[in-house]
Amino acid sequence: MSSLQLPAWLKSSLYFLLIVIIIILAWEGYKLLGDVGGKFLRGTAQVRVGEERVPGSLCQSIGLCEVELPVRSDDRAMPHVKDMVVTIFEPPRRGSEVILLNILFRASLFTLQEAIAGFVIGGVLGFSLGVVFAHSGLLERGLLPYVVASQTVPLLAIAPMVVIWLGGNWFSVAIIAAYLTFFPVTINTLRGLRSPEMTSLELMHSYAATPWEILWKLRVPAALPYIFTALKVSATASVVGAIIGELPSGIADGLGRVILNFNQYYATGPERLWASILFASLTGMAFFLIITLLEYIFIHHQPADI
Amino acid sequence: MESVVSIQKVNKTFGEGTNNQVHALDDIDLVIQPNEFVSLIGPSGCGKSTLLRVIGDLITPTSGKITINGKSAHQARLDRDYGMVFQAATLYDWRTVAKNVQLPLELMKYSNDKKEARTREMLALVELEDFDRHYPWQLSGGMQQRVAIARALAFEPSILLMDEPFGALDEMTRERMNLELLDIWGKTQTTVIFVTHSITEAVFLSTRVMVMSARPGRLIQDITIDLPQPRNADSRENVRFFELETEVREALRQSESQKHE
Repeated sequence: MSSLQLPAWLKSSLYFLLIVIIIILAWEGYKLLGDVGGKFLRGTAQVRVGEERVPGSLCQSIGLCEVELPVRSDDRAMPHVKDMVVTIFEPPRRGSEVILLNILFRASLFTLQEAIAGFVIGGVLGFSLGVVFAHSGLLERGLLPYVVASQTVPLLAIAPMVVIWLGGNWFSVAIIAAYLTFFPVTINTLRGLRSPEMTSLELMHSYAATPWEILWKLRVPAALPYIFTALKVSATASVVGAIIGELPSGIADGLGRVILNFNQYYATGPERLWASILFASLTGMAFFLIITLLEYIFIHHQPADI
Repeated sequence: MESVVSIQKVNKTFGEGTNNQVHALDDIDLVIQPNEFVSLIGPSGCGKSTLLRVIGDLITPTSGKITINGKSAHQARLDRDYGMVFQAATLYDWRTVAKNVQLPLELMKYSNDKKEARTREMLALVELEDFDRHYPWQLSGGMQQRVAIARALAFEPSILLMDEPFGALDEMTRERMNLELLDIWGKTQTTVIFVTHSITEAVFLSTRVMVMSARPGRLIQDITIDLPQPRNADSRENVRFFELETEVREALRQSESQKHE
């Protein structure tokens, strides 16, 4: 036992923070490896001295010349972490007072709403399909291949179809997010509903329980740990689905458009795209945490702790 | 007196017409009177659990007639005449001890007051009053099995079907559970059908021991256990106890040799 007893959530937050610091140090450390242009390892490429170009020191001393870095380390490919943070608190457009944080926060919230709507639609659909398949082997054999096939079609191909059918609106985006969400829920619900042992079912039969009672008093409670595992996967997937769905829908208020914009103007402000990526992942993580909290509320009394 | 269980010429064949056809029960005849404690004993795979499930309408026999309390086994199940206890306690992990005991009462639409009262009564019977808010996985194996018994008896079924309920417990816990079960049986006046591997347990608990032969499962001997009632720890040291144990052991050996002929 350690002398310092910290609550579990604080401990995992501290670990998370530690990893963030390590990533930042690794990022900046890598940048230090590169020379001025960021293409070669420092000291192995030619450097300019006054009017002349001379080989780098490592090239001269041990013959290590022009060693290319796998990724360029210049400020365009890898902006400084400090610049990414600073840009969040500056207005991205000249002549505007609105700082980037405001824009990103509003866009994240908008995308999160679409993602939640898609998540709910996909979750309900996934759960219902799982229940149907668990009760009918015939439907499972007949329909499950289509469910699997649906996931082999790229989302980028599906998204424009949905927009053509349902229009470029908020609801289309939710449907596109739902498309990514329902599959893991279906598979895990099915697995979970079938998890009770034979004797647990026999017990229910000995009470002459109806299939409906068996579903809600045995199968669903037994399936909850499986379902929540799927919901955690789906929570992050629904954010990705919503961002991708926003592009063909022409929705301007979400993270999709923000990312697209900063992508186009990457050359003049690469740190803005990186800041948007940060917010996109924060949005996914926030949703993940919400589901984890719900999971804790619903099944914290199970023996296997998460 | 009307019999509780009456079985005539019951056969059960699994996978009939396939290559791995198994003849599990062969022409079983069995009559059980109210308040009897009947043990089914036999080599593993002899069909004793199958017979128990046929009586409880969890498995449909291939042929033969089963009458439970004057009606079909199916009707008896719909009327909730059976309380079941399995080798694994089969408690639901997401329910507290009290909620597990209440499960059958919920399904049978007991009123809340009656549900609570009955739960308290049952937990007192198995001496677990103070554990009502615990979860099953917080209890020892013996305590879990006591909860399972409380749950099985909560709705006052006329027949208690027990499938090796103490098979997974250690010897000492098992002996204590045997005494507790006899105590509960004395108080509740239920008819018990008990599947076991243990000769000692069968003789100690039962009013009758039915010895079964291995595949196809037949009832080969019906041994009345005439040890005085009520039984206690001393009954195990009675000379008659050893005689009866020997008798059951001989019958089992006979069933083994039949199998090899």
